Amino acid sequence: MGTVHARSLEPLPSTGPDFGGLGEEAEFVEVEPEAKQEILENKDVVVQHVHFDGLGRTKDDIIICEIGDVFKAKNLIEVMRKSHEAREKLLRLGIFRQVDVLIDTCQGDDALPNGLDVTFEVTELRRLTGSYNTMVGNNEGSMVLGLKLPNLLGRAEKVTFQFSYGTKETSYGLSFFKPRPGNFERNFSVNLYKVTGQFPWSSLRETDRGVSAEYSFPIWKTSHTVKWEGVWRELGCLSRTASFAVRKESGHSLKSSLSHAMVIDSRNSSILPRRGALLKVNQELAGYTGGDVSFIKEDFELQLNKPLILDSVFSASLWGGMLVPIGEKPSSIADRFYLGGPTSVRGFSMHSIGPQSEGDYLGGEAYWAGGLHLYTPLPFRPGQGGFGELFRTHFFLNAGNLCNLNYGEGPKAHIRKLAEYIRWSYGAGIVLRLGNIARLELNYCIPMGVQGGDRICDGVQFGAGIRFL
Amino acid sequence: MSLVAEAFVSQIAATEPWPENATLYQQLKGEQILLSDNAASLAVQAFLQMCNLPVKVVCRANAEYMSPSGKVPFIHVGNQVVSELGPIVQFVKAKGHSLSDGLDEVQKAEMKAYMELVNNMLLTAELYLQWCDEATVGEVLEDVDQCCQALSQRLGTQPYFFNKQPTELDALVFGHLYTILTTQLTNDELSEKVKNYSNLLAFCRRIEQHYFEDRGKGRLS
Repeated sequence: MGTVHARSLEPLPSTGPDFGGLGEEAEFVEVEPEAKQEILENKDVVVQHVHFDGLGRTKDDIIICEIGDVFKAKNLIEVMRKSHEAREKLLRLGIFRQVDVLIDTCQGDDALPNGLDVTFEVTELRRLTGSYNTMVGNNEGSMVLGLKLPNLLGRAEKVTFQFSYGTKETSYGLSFFKPRPGNFERNFSVNLYKVTGQFPWSSLRETDRGVSAEYSFPIWKTSHTVKWEGVWRELGCLSRTASFAVRKESGHSLKSSLSHAMVIDSRNSSILPRRGALLKVNQELAGYTGGDVSFIKEDFELQLNKPLILDSVFSASLWGGMLVPIGEKPSSIADRFYLGGPTSVRGFSMHSIGPQSEGDYLGGEAYWAGGLHLYTPLPFRPGQGGFGELFRTHFFLNAGNLCNLNYGEGPKAHIRKLAEYIRWSYGAGIVLRLGNIARLELNYCIPMGVQGGDRICDGVQFGAGIRFL
Repeated sequence: MSLVAEAFVSQIAATEPWPENATLYQQLKGEQILLSDNAASLAVQAFLQMCNLPVKVVCRANAEYMSPSGKVPFIHVGNQVVSELGPIVQFVKAKGHSLSDGLDEVQKAEMKAYMELVNNMLLTAELYLQWCDEATVGEVLEDVDQCCQALSQRLGTQPYFFNKQPTELDALVFGHLYTILTTQLTNDELSEKVKNYSNLLAFCRRIEQHYFEDRGKGRLS
């Protein structure tokens, strides 16, 4: 009988054996019938054996959990579909470089006439992979060393280590990740890190050394993460001319906080989605597990996308957040929110909206920001189907506000305060998609509603990043 | 600071009068501040009092990180931040207040020499006592004794080191001696050495009375 060899099918069609309309990114399937042709499609089959070739250090129990469904298939198409899903799950574990699926009829003494054998041929990732890069940036060079140990103990645990040694700053991060066998979305990770940052808009330098432990789990369609984090923060002035308000924040402090985040994401892609919505809600409580700083912080991010005629997409987004210090001490500049920049309200300089002192932006305890976008393919569609597909033209309207609140005044006063002196901007530009992670934008912006103290960047503005308003 | 920067700062500073809200920052009294830092802060406070320049003392836990040089005390005057006695004396001079203008060159050199003596001997003794507490304390006490003897001889029966008017040397000596006399330490020998010289005791008492109590500041803790 024929063999069916399935490779790199993504995604499988949801309706039956019609391989015609495959959707955007699917590749081909080859079916080679041999000698006797039979209509296999709707014939009842039983999956008798599932074989694995190429397992080394991977333990059996996590494999068994991922492929359990294959045995439940009733006909050939279901076998192919379930095998494909099992293959996806195995790749998601992050322990195999390659997974091939082979479906054949059963041979041997106990073979049923309609019995099938499914074989997964896997290649495990090497025990240790490393990378070494040098980076050169603004007056600074650094060496970056990365190490990854996938599938450390056989159950898809992963340890990653990154170390960056630079002329100005040194930073590192060590992380241990462990998923629950059979339930990859439930996972646990512990991180240890030191990061340094320089923020010229506030004349501030910050060094964070921290440890965090987090646990993620799904509830229906949402993904939740519960995290504890302890950070030793060191703040300092970036230059002799820093304002006194920033100088007063210099020194060491310890933050110990518990946080919870919820994410619902139904978009088809995180960069330039065509449809779907995203909702992220995050809350953080600091001070009740130790540390010097005590606050409760809430922030959310909402994005809606709708495809329109002629391949264009209409997108609306809304961000907001609030920081309420608990006790007598005022909030720290490292915890406050910032607004403005090519990834936030366009047309303003990076984080240069809101309360400031002598040209240093101090951030605010409450903010909101919104954007309306229309993305269209490039006019005349140059390079259709190829390079040109990575670009979009985009028309936008952004607005937002950032301020400090006096929490004794009550919610009506807060709403009024956040509604006065709204900064907004509009413009158009080109967006370039970089893989599935980042995007570049080049926009012409016209800022409006500028308040005294804000720094604007009207005209052409360039932005690169992962998260855009 | 480089010469050019100093000249620039002096020019800027000279144009503005001393504001009402000048502030001096030091660490928290009692649980945080060290012997040597306390002496330095007291010296600056005494100096500013002698110049008749009002200043408010604010205690903050992160004072040494706020300071541009990492050392306390520092003063925040208008838009300027200046730390340590030496630069503060310069800064105040640029604004037109000086205690040592009446001295001639020889006396100024002498004053500088005595200030170096105090910094080398008394400051070192304070640092030693707050960080170590061992057997070689004998040598340290010898140095302190010699320093006090030199100071006592120079002071003689005069009210201040350069007769009638106080100078920055008086402020510095006051800061260190007062701190040594009044701070509770595990080892009393340091303050005993200072107490041997009655004119130094009288000197401290006089400055405390005149510049701190009489001005309504109350007793220094």
